[in-house]
Amino acid sequence: MVGIAGDSSVTPAVAVRGLSSGYGSVAVLHEVDFTVGHEIFAVLGANGAGKTTLLATLAGLLPAFSGSIAYHGTDVTNLAASESARLGVGYVPQEAAVFPDLSVLENFTVGGMIGTRPHEERLEEVFETFPDLRDKLHLRAGNLSGGESRMVACGRALMQDPNVLLLDEPTAGLSPLYLQLFFEKIADIHRTRGMSIVLTEQNATQALAIADRVMVLSLGVGSEPMLADAVTTDLLREGYQI
Amino acid sequence: MNLDWLDAFLIFGAFKVVEIMGLGLLVHLQLGLTRVANFGVVGFWGVGLYAFGVAHLKVDWPFGDPYQFLVCAAIATVAAAAAGLVVGWLISELDDDGTLVGTLGFATIVVILATTQQGLTGGALGLGGLGFPYDFGRVKTHEFTWLLITTAVVALIFVYAWRVHRTPHGRLLIAVGANEALARSLGKSATAARLRMMTVTSGAMGLLGAMHGVMVRSLEINSLDVGVTLAALAALILGGTARVFGAVVGVLLTVALFDIVIQFYLPIPDGWNTQALPVAREAVFGAAIVLMLIFRPQGLLGQMRRPALMRRLHGDW
Ligand SMILES: Nc1ncnc2c1ncn2[C@@H]1O[C@H](COP(=O)(O)OP(=O)(O)OP(=O)(O)O)[C@@H](O)[C@H]1O
Ligand SMILES: [Mg+2]
Repeated sequence: MVGIAGDSSVTPAVAVRGLSSGYGSVAVLHEVDFTVGHEIFAVLGANGAGKTTLLATLAGLLPAFSGSIAYHGTDVTNLAASESARLGVGYVPQEAAVFPDLSVLENFTVGGMIGTRPHEERLEEVFETFPDLRDKLHLRAGNLSGGESRMVACGRALMQDPNVLLLDEPTAGLSPLYLQLFFEKIADIHRTRGMSIVLTEQNATQALAIADRVMVLSLGVGSEPMLADAVTTDLLREGYQI
Repeated sequence: MNLDWLDAFLIFGAFKVVEIMGLGLLVHLQLGLTRVANFGVVGFWGVGLYAFGVAHLKVDWPFGDPYQFLVCAAIATVAAAAAGLVVGWLISELDDDGTLVGTLGFATIVVILATTQQGLTGGALGLGGLGFPYDFGRVKTHEFTWLLITTAVVALIFVYAWRVHRTPHGRLLIAVGANEALARSLGKSATAARLRMMTVTSGAMGLLGAMHGVMVRSLEINSLDVGVTLAALAALILGGTARVFGAVVGVLLTVALFDIVIQFYLPIPDGWNTQALPVAREAVFGAAIVLMLIFRPQGLLGQMRRPALMRRLHGDW
């Protein structure tokens, strides 16, 4: 798997070249470069390093100042977020990741607005991944607990049948037990549904455990991507202060 | 039809209730579902009123009523829908404050145009000569019939709003209203959804404006009053912006209370009706909005009940 990611002869799922972006005229990301293959790719970094900015730019919600983004060889640098989504990009933001007034079922339904596979089939798969949600279908998403809400957000993105899933700190605020469970789910999603996953994390230990490769962002500058097996938390702490 | 039991003023009071109910239902779709704060309701309604009046009075139609009415009402609806599309597009990148100012500014432009384009609109003097698209007997019968027809139109608006809650389009509007960025990452154009909603609701506001023109049988610049916007907003906010019944309940507690109950059934001194009451009415409506927003922002009927609705529609999975 990792071999594919590094192999330049295969079109990568995500190819980011010299990407700079930010807010207004303030650049937060500076010339970030990486490719993601059929793998779990973790972006680590301290608070304010630019992780959320990177994922929002990848989702098409922030304009790129310069550089390029391509999914499976299709350049999406200047595409609207809705177009990227239709090309198979699923995005779970760090905050406000569900529609609070809609029920859980409806959050899944809006996720399933695009795509061609039968709705029921996709929903059934989401329940396989998150069986706990079966009983909560008709609850208001805004009334769910933090962990449940993360599951709904993930499920909603999965309903889009993405081939690239962007997860911004999927486990932030979760209890240790939930956190463990959630990382297993992510690994499971990658394994069973075969999609490429880009996730950001502050929790280096857990991220290293499931990721194939990691990149460290510091002050908007990306490190060379590294094999997760070769990285230790000590190295991250000393080398990157995270 | 023997309508001796019916006071002519009561017909007008009821017409106002029905009309504001219609506007309130449309504002519900804008504000309650999509969170577009339209403070220029009277502008879209006024475009309909004036487009209808001008088309009716200034164009030499080769056919008479009811076709003339139908064609002119269609023109009014299309003109207001186009205004909704353009204003919706102009405010699509703006935040709530910008939306507020933009829609209010649009309503102001409509008033200025109606006032200055004297050749077309009669300006401050207004234009007479509008009438009912039928003729069978006494004026009161005509007015009462028009009240019934307008009620039917508002009933259709209600059914439309009620149905929107049950469609993917409505769900997308709620998603766009709650979190536009997230909605865009769903693969549907948030802008297109919002523009579609603005076009349809503004067009319907214009149709209500045309129906108003028929009822009062003239174009009067004073009718383009911010009180129209205020009444629709007060009714909706009192009843509950997020609920389709919000405008219905709210209008009974505001417009019906003032324009029917207090005006006709309370022993208030002569003169008050024309002098103090309209002022008190606006003050009370304004205060009602402020108090509701402070103490019960979700309105009397409360928040959206999507989960209950979905359980009813889909049962247990
Ligand atoms: N909407 C915004 N407008 C202006 N600057 C912003 C905005 N959002 C974030 N920033 C700035 O961009 C920088 C990177 O923020 P970002 O949210 O990408 O960091 P992060 O790595 O996701 O942090 P965290 O781990 O806390 O989520 C920060 O310095 C922040 O102040
Ligand atoms: Mg972040």
